Amino acid sequence: MKRLVGMIVLLAALCAGFVGFSWVMYLSAAWAGYELAVKVGAPALYGATLSNVFWLMLVVLMVSGSLLTVAERKWSAMLQNRIGANRIKVFGYALGGIPFLLADALKMLTKERVEPQGRTRFLYGLAPVLAFVPVFALFAIVPVGGPVLMRDLLPATWFVGLPPSAAGLGATPISLQVSANDTGLLYVFAIASLQVYGTSLAGWASNNKLALLGGVRASSQMISYEVSLGLSLVGCMMAFRTLRLDEMVVRQGQAVLGFLPALGILLQPVGFLIFFASAFAETKRAPFDLPEGESEIVGYFVEYSGMKFGLMFLSEFMEIVVLSGVVAAVFLGGWQPIVVPFAWLQQAVGPVLAACIGAATFLVKMVLLMWLQLTIRWLLPRFRYDQIQKLCWKILLPAALINVFVTGAAILLDGSASRLDYVAALGLLTILVVALVTTAAGRAPRAEAAHGGAHAAGH
Amino acid sequence: MPYQLDNRPPDLRESMYFPEIIRGIGAVTRHFLKNFFFSRDTHPDILSRKRGQFASDNVTLAYPEERAPYPPGYRGLHRLVPREDGKPRCVACYMCATACPAQCIYIEAGEYPEDPIEKYPVKFVIDELRCIVCGFCVEACPKDAIRMDTGEHAPPSYERSAQIWDEQRLLRGAPISYQADPWLRRGSPSIPADKLEEMRARARPFPAGATDEYSQTPGFSVRALAAEARERTERAGQR
Repeated sequence: MKRLVGMIVLLAALCAGFVGFSWVMYLSAAWAGYELAVKVGAPALYGATLSNVFWLMLVVLMVSGSLLTVAERKWSAMLQNRIGANRIKVFGYALGGIPFLLADALKMLTKERVEPQGRTRFLYGLAPVLAFVPVFALFAIVPVGGPVLMRDLLPATWFVGLPPSAAGLGATPISLQVSANDTGLLYVFAIASLQVYGTSLAGWASNNKLALLGGVRASSQMISYEVSLGLSLVGCMMAFRTLRLDEMVVRQGQAVLGFLPALGILLQPVGFLIFFASAFAETKRAPFDLPEGESEIVGYFVEYSGMKFGLMFLSEFMEIVVLSGVVAAVFLGGWQPIVVPFAWLQQAVGPVLAACIGAATFLVKMVLLMWLQLTIRWLLPRFRYDQIQKLCWKILLPAALINVFVTGAAILLDGSASRLDYVAALGLLTILVVALVTTAAGRAPRAEAAHGGAHAAGH
Repeated sequence: MPYQLDNRPPDLRESMYFPEIIRGIGAVTRHFLKNFFFSRDTHPDILSRKRGQFASDNVTLAYPEERAPYPPGYRGLHRLVPREDGKPRCVACYMCATACPAQCIYIEAGEYPEDPIEKYPVKFVIDELRCIVCGFCVEACPKDAIRMDTGEHAPPSYERSAQIWDEQRLLRGAPISYQADPWLRRGSPSIPADKLEEMRARARPFPAGATDEYSQTPGFSVRALAAEARERTERAGQR
């Protein structure tokens, strides 16, 4: 009972902490934008972007990526009715295994660096960086928080007597997104496909046949899944009529069929499944962990040790964070708090707090999606290699193509103002069918009689 | 008990794969939520832990801090049973050392100077590394002077020499006196008179089933269990 109360308090504190943290991020972005604009004369966006790079990429992405290494142990333990990592204790408290983070970092940094002699020195050193950097760059596109005007965030006295060059400063929107560029999802595909260089170079440069095979497996898998990855989002692009992720989040706030929020997962349930599966394959984690499979298969980073291995390892976890961010933005409504309309929230609690609550909901959605990914990783056994390719080319790709055509037709034939009613109805129907099939009674557990009979005979 | 594996081909839903994954996520999520929101029952007996919808499914014992109790009759580290005056009950008869198949017991007998009859072990050493924990020494002892009822393992050590337990380390636990003890019946110069009276007052009859006395758990009796088993067999034979 004590734990139940404690956990509920902890979750509430976490949500409140997310709101406070978003507030800090907004303030920091507005402050940096203001200072740079007034002191240097740069556009306000520059300072805000610098602040966002620090908070979103270095703090949110890095911290959640490294916390995931611990979370994987603890959450998998809870799935499997174990206790999980708890042997490092700070003043007698295991603190949910979080001290293991420091221990792991220390271990990675102080481990002996063993490097093969015949390696291609430059590429060998470059590969972990190439595996790490695209993941980092991907997070630039994730819209964590919506726009807030700068004069709402900063004290009003700051905007009195500004030089004419900075006159419109108060009306500058500040949002928690490093780069709100027009390429949007195309940027995601472009950067995500760069990851393949890290893995294949790691396999090739370490002068090890098995590592090379691992790299080949990795690159073939990643290149295959990029096709369905790209096609699965075409439906979303058509439905929201934009490539920008921040715009997509705004569009998801509108109502379809009169009352439902136009969430991506509602409009495109098939696209969601395909995207999630393909992106999961891109992260190279179980059930798609053929490239490495640390327990059995010799993978592409077998020749890496110490922090170089650590980078490869960490980039895998940061891919999870990035994937959660993209899915939360495209399919789960981003910073739209789904239960209440965002416009109503703005009216009720003011623009700043509403944006903070929105950013906090985004972070909560990200945490839930990360949890889902870890759960799937501990739920499913590894695919065989031919099954992986079959799943991609024979199931996901045709399904994505059909999804594109059906969505396109539904949008074309729809006469309503948003042109989303048919798509939403189709999506709702799909979700209902999946729910029905999932909850329908399966076949009876076989022949308890025969089993029991064998028991009786034994006695 | 092996049972037949159900190797039927997948039905319609199973061949659709995704619904089954969703069901699987549901199954593990139930475990996750139960373990996340409810604390682990630390009762050492796993079978008597609280179960149900609103309790953790976790059955792990956090070993060094929590330990499962040993079963009754568990043979642990030896101890030399003391008398009430602090000396060992052992009379250095060498029965245990003779019975020991591993030859891990070394005894040097000595005599109390004013007593022409009673002996005591000057040295009583057990090599716990050689001991095979068979319990023959306990069975062999006519004076109930050595027991394995401590419920402990030999504690680990960095040196072999630390595994050689001498009489100072072995002599511990609750003292025992029996009415049949010779030093109580005829008196002993090694025991002061008032102490002797006290020990006589406390003495119990020597247990008829010695083995029962050695078991750690009150109420557990090998003989009683054996008798029950015999009865069962007889009943089965009559039928």
